[in-house]
Amino acid sequence: MLKDITLGQFFPGNSLLHKTDARFKILILLALIIGIIAADSSFSFLLMGVVTVTLVLVSKIPIKIILKNLRMLLFIFIFTAVLNVFFYEGETLLWHRSFIEIYKEGLIYALFMILRLACLVCSSFVVLTYTTSPLDMTDAIERLLSPLKKIKVPVHEFAMMMTIALRFIPTLIEETDKIMSAQKARGADMESGGLIKRAKALIPILIPLFVSSFRRADELAEAMECRCYRGGEGRTKMKQIKSCFRDYAFLTVTVGICVAVFFINRYGVRV
Amino acid sequence: MAYIEIKGLSFSYEEGEDGVRIFDNLDLSFEEGSYTAVLGRNGSGKSTLAKLICGILQPIHGSITVGGLSTADEDELYELRRNCGMIFQNPDNQLVASVVEEDVAFAPENLGMEPLLIRKTVDECLAAVDMTDYAKHATYKLSGGQKQRVAIAGVLAMMPKCIIFDEATAMLDPLGRRDITERMKALNKEKGMTVINITHYMNEAAEADRVIVLDGGKAIMDGTPKEVFSHGDKLRAVKLDTPQITELCDELINLGYNLPKGVLHTMEAAEAIEKLAKG
Repeated sequence: MLKDITLGQFFPGNSLLHKTDARFKILILLALIIGIIAADSSFSFLLMGVVTVTLVLVSKIPIKIILKNLRMLLFIFIFTAVLNVFFYEGETLLWHRSFIEIYKEGLIYALFMILRLACLVCSSFVVLTYTTSPLDMTDAIERLLSPLKKIKVPVHEFAMMMTIALRFIPTLIEETDKIMSAQKARGADMESGGLIKRAKALIPILIPLFVSSFRRADELAEAMECRCYRGGEGRTKMKQIKSCFRDYAFLTVTVGICVAVFFINRYGVRV
Repeated sequence: MAYIEIKGLSFSYEEGEDGVRIFDNLDLSFEEGSYTAVLGRNGSGKSTLAKLICGILQPIHGSITVGGLSTADEDELYELRRNCGMIFQNPDNQLVASVVEEDVAFAPENLGMEPLLIRKTVDECLAAVDMTDYAKHATYKLSGGQKQRVAIAGVLAMMPKCIIFDEATAMLDPLGRRDITERMKALNKEKGMTVINITHYMNEAAEADRVIVLDGGKAIMDGTPKEVFSHGDKLRAVKLDTPQITELCDELINLGYNLPKGVLHTMEAAEAIEKLAKG
């Protein structure tokens, strides 16, 4: 049952997005998010939509997988749309009954909202989650945030915590599976009963899991000490990330698109 | 002077003078380039000894020096750990990174080596344990024996002079156990490393050049495997066994057959019995 959980959702591949330096991808995504949130006319939405679709195509991630993930967020889409339809006050009244009023602008705005969310989700999936291995991501975050070390933010420690957490997720899942089997063998019932009963049934699984995790942490700390770990100071890295011209070009184009959105918002044709 | 010198060692997990002593005034030394097995029942302080040598635990009294470096000196501890690597029992709890080569690179990265040199060291160490093909694999997908091999590569990457195996084979299947034991032997014989194998398995101990039996915080037996295992009764008194083949020969001797004491290997026993049968 626990084996089904996909970790990190990373799809190994060889597309342009896979090859781009993870640090740049984080910055690119940031620019895209700003662009998508700032967009408020049909032209700018069209632009961001085209950009998102292009990214999806470039990433070579099967559309099916993306649609599957979008479907999981369907509830949020509908919820936002419904809220916007009912609570937006515009000029052209389309339909009303007692206190419920639906405006044409509200409908358009709801549509924009759905588009905006879909673009946000798709682009962040495609740029980061699907195309960056968790390790590269941790590394990129550490390097991007390294200037913060000057103001005593423990950047290296956070990155190390993330690395270790990623390393131990499969181990702990395996262990949870074992403990569940052991408790089931002793007659524990985890599948029947209401919510509260099921939550209570988790206690005999969580406690052994916690205890063993602490023991693991202790042993790991000793093993790390034995391998000369003493924090981030004086530490080097085997992998050297080198950014190439393509990375800079990619980032420049994205920032350009972001600026274009602001430009269209200000001077462009409005609906 | 021996490579590892333990003098007047006393240790207790409880604080203060009146706690239960795991060790009380223990003297022990390990020569450079030696291959020693440490035996002892649960709670005899085998693993504690390993942790004391690596400076993870500090003694109450006495001193431990490794290659002239003292475990009591904070400044020397780092260099000491580089010289004296340790492999732990649970392969899962000593791998830090999710990718094999990243894990092997962990120690060199900590030591602040140049990236290109790290690359070279990692490749060499993976080749030394025959794991080159697995360099990019996820650590959690490996078998227990493979994980221990990666752990050995990770320690070798520090280029230590001594490796302590703290029950490193206890969680492995027989195949993995044999593989790791052979590697220990190779490290000692081919690379001249000082190897200390803390173990439960008598057959493993028989492979070493020297066997130490710990009990009640004292080294009650110390000698070649032949010497130690020829005292079967003394071993059984501290709840330890002799290797199966030694036990068989002991039983035969008890029945009145004239066989040599302290036989360690099956072939050796077979030859002795053949000689007796023909003789």
